[in-house]
Amino acid sequence: MNGRRVARLLAPVLLAATGAVSGAQIQATVTGADGKPVTQAVVTLKPTGNSPVPEGNPKSVVMDQVDKEFVPLVVPVQAGGAVSFPNKDNIRHHVYSFSAPKTFELKLYSGVPSKPVVFDKPGVITLGCNIHDWMVGYLFVTDTPWFGKTGADGSVSIDAPPGEYTVRVWHPWSSAMAEQKVRTDAAPAKLAFRLSVVPPPVPARK
Amino acid sequence: MIRFARLEVRIVVFFVILLICMQGVMFTLVTASGQHIAERRVREELATGERLFRRLVDQSNRRLSDAASVLAADFGFREAVATRDLGTIQSVLRNHGARISADVVLLADIEGMPLADTLDEGHSGAGLPQVSDLLAAARDKGKAQAITLIGGVPHQVVVVPVLAPVPIAWVAMGFKLDNRAARDLQDVTALQVSFLSRRPGDGWRMHASTLPEQARVPLLHSASRQSTLDTFSFIDVGDDHYATLVPVLGEGSEGRVVAVLQRSLLEGLEPFHRLRNILAVLAVVSIVLSIAGSMLIARSVTRPVGRLVTTARRIQDGDYPEHVAVERSDEIGELASSFNHMLDGIKQRESQILRLAYEDALTGLPNRAMLHDRLTQALSSARRTASPVSVMVMGLDRFKEVNETLGHPIGDRVLREVAVRLQGVLRESDTVARLGGDEFAILLPTGDSERVQNVMRRIVATLETPIVIDDQAIDVGGSIGVASFPDHSDGADTLLRQADMAMSLAKQANSGYAIYDPAQDDGRRGHLSLLGELRRAVERDELNLHFQPKLDLATGAVHRAEALVRWQHPVRGFVPPVEFIPFAERTGYIRQVTRWVVERAILQAGEWHRAGRSITISANVSTRDLMTPDLVNLVTGGLQRHGTPASLLCLEITESGFMDDPTRALETLEQLHALGVRLSIDDFGTGYSSLAYLKKLPVQELKIDRAFVMHMVTDRDDATLVRSTIELGHNLGLEVVAEGVEDAASLDMLRVLGCNEAQGYFISKPLPADRFEQWLDQRGSAASAAA
Repeated sequence: MNGRRVARLLAPVLLAATGAVSGAQIQATVTGADGKPVTQAVVTLKPTGNSPVPEGNPKSVVMDQVDKEFVPLVVPVQAGGAVSFPNKDNIRHHVYSFSAPKTFELKLYSGVPSKPVVFDKPGVITLGCNIHDWMVGYLFVTDTPWFGKTGADGSVSIDAPPGEYTVRVWHPWSSAMAEQKVRTDAAPAKLAFRLSVVPPPVPARK
Repeated sequence: MIRFARLEVRIVVFFVILLICMQGVMFTLVTASGQHIAERRVREELATGERLFRRLVDQSNRRLSDAASVLAADFGFREAVATRDLGTIQSVLRNHGARISADVVLLADIEGMPLADTLDEGHSGAGLPQVSDLLAAARDKGKAQAITLIGGVPHQVVVVPVLAPVPIAWVAMGFKLDNRAARDLQDVTALQVSFLSRRPGDGWRMHASTLPEQARVPLLHSASRQSTLDTFSFIDVGDDHYATLVPVLGEGSEGRVVAVLQRSLLEGLEPFHRLRNILAVLAVVSIVLSIAGSMLIARSVTRPVGRLVTTARRIQDGDYPEHVAVERSDEIGELASSFNHMLDGIKQRESQILRLAYEDALTGLPNRAMLHDRLTQALSSARRTASPVSVMVMGLDRFKEVNETLGHPIGDRVLREVAVRLQGVLRESDTVARLGGDEFAILLPTGDSERVQNVMRRIVATLETPIVIDDQAIDVGGSIGVASFPDHSDGADTLLRQADMAMSLAKQANSGYAIYDPAQDDGRRGHLSLLGELRRAVERDELNLHFQPKLDLATGAVHRAEALVRWQHPVRGFVPPVEFIPFAERTGYIRQVTRWVVERAILQAGEWHRAGRSITISANVSTRDLMTPDLVNLVTGGLQRHGTPASLLCLEITESGFMDDPTRALETLEQLHALGVRLSIDDFGTGYSSLAYLKKLPVQELKIDRAFVMHMVTDRDDATLVRSTIELGHNLGLEVVAEGVEDAASLDMLRVLGCNEAQGYFISKPLPADRFEQWLDQRGSAASAAA
């Protein structure tokens, strides 16, 4: 997968997300079993205990379809946020999801669908195209406003108020999530995650 | 015929054995190579079948895979799976399974837990554990396919993921490998297909098979004897062998599933067996045909050959049949045709030989043999009808002179002309034959004496006209003798002899013709036995010599005598010379008689000479004796042996004896004369010798025939003859002797005529030697007394 290109495209979005909250900064670096950086991993921070999770203003995000692929592979979104699925190809797509948190389908369309889809429940939404079986995309719906996605270097910085957090790392190609607890203060905390990532067999494109 | 039948059998047996051998060899070759080819073909078919089988399995896999993929990709189905809408899921599984007649369709969640299946109520969920191996493989490779046991039954199963779009569940779809599947595979591969499985620690089980019931048990037996089935082997089932290939279909924790592909060798051999049967029928048919054919051909050879043999045997027996029918143009036909030519040739040559045997070459008349045959025939038929048969013998007069003076070619033409003339005066039924030389015979198979006389007159008349050859008129008369049946004899030989004798008489008498007179026949009384007896007489000394003195008319002395042969037969008594001398002359036996007489005369002359009696003894020599050198040898030897002076032997030769071969006779006489033997001409006056010839003869004496002397006293002619003969003799410088002096008057007359010597009964009859001596002694004493 051309992860480098995905990272470049997503960079402004991440900056926007991280820059929204002022506070402590948590820098997480995810590497695979082979020690190489893992990109497109979603890192979430959830306050431990009964610390309330502030109701954020979930941002709308975009999951493009470019050259018969979902771009990027993974899009994190806070629950209640809307995702639009603009079709940048000159053919039509039929985007669907049978995932438990949200099932929907955008029947054959081109261009930008009139309404974005709002995802209320947290969880992983696997996106497919009924026309192009190999197209796979993931929406990671979080129940916390503090989240980020690793870049090409496998690291992400998340600003969050100081406190005690459970940091989880998810990646579509890993069967398990990595998790660490961290207490933050003013100083930035650096966390390293090791996640076994197995790319799925490359499906045949047609 | 048996030999030819054997030839026929030989031909038939040879060809049939040859054919049987060829068929046998062919049969063996076909059977052996058939077995070989069939085995190889069965192996090839098996290999081909296996390839087909594997392709079919692949095809099934693809069908399953395609169908499962289509199912897994169905949006509604995915939605149902995602939402765990089990009712919908089950119906979709059934629906899609039915599309390709899948026997089983399963759905498991992504962890492999069963969600739904098309199995029967009781077995629901039972299938999955068996496909867990497959799920693991599918997880690795995205999809998996295998032949494995589901519910103890081998299934061909394909597992594909349900993608939404990542795998959210597994769909397994499978065909049961049952008898139907086996039959379908058999239809395409033409192999016997069986499915066997073996669970770990268990025995082989058979799940499906196209084999006939009785072949399944041996297969299981064979399988159970081996822990793993050989990839290739022959398995015996009753009379049949099955070439067997065992591709392994599936190997898993559930056990091993194999297909057993088999091809019956018997089926593979079946075309060859059919060929063999056809060959067997062909062999029988061709053997039967070849027997029939070779018999036909053999018969077509042996039958005509047999006919030729039969014909040849008839020819051998002298029976000349018709031609053998020539129906064919082949070698046999040529043989028959040549055979016919040969038959013609033989017939022709035989008739020629017959002609030569029965025909006189010169005149074309029948010869003596044929005349004899016809005469015999005529006699045998005449005996039945009691009709007369006459046979004539004609001798030409003066023919010898014609030959001598005009040459044989003219003589031959004369004979031919005579033959033509004779035929001209006879009927068709009469036979004219040439007996040889100048003698002809005429057979009158019918006709009385009047006709005979008539014919004889006509023959004489026809020969009176001179025969003109090359402008030269030749006068040949004929003398004919006749003998008739039944008057004279009833045998062919006798009649001919009688006719011949009559002819001789006619010739002697110059009478033209004569009918046989038994009174004149001295040969009547069994000449043949006489010949034998005469021979015996010479050998046994039954003959003896009598001596008749010759009286010297001038001196009255006797210095000479004629030796005359006498035959004292032990049974018949005295046989007069006239009864056997002419006969001996005719048969040629006279030579032996002459020999005997001359020998005895020399002996006697020698004895008397030594006793002081100088008597010259005359011996009669026949004409025949003059023709051989024997006589000279005999005389020379005799004179030497007995010490007799040649002057004491006188040989008397009949005048007519010279004339047959004067040169030869003269030669002999010259030699005798040179010896000093006295020579005398006997019976002078009866022959026709010319005086010129007479003059040349070295003779010293001339004897006047008794016929003239006996009647000279009464007959003036005879007296004249005697007188002129004496004068002739004297003029030729010969002494003249008269025989037949029977009275004193004759003796006196002869003395007056100047005849030198006289001989006759008046002087003395012939006397035996001793009595002749006595007679001489008496005369001597009488003479001396008279003196």
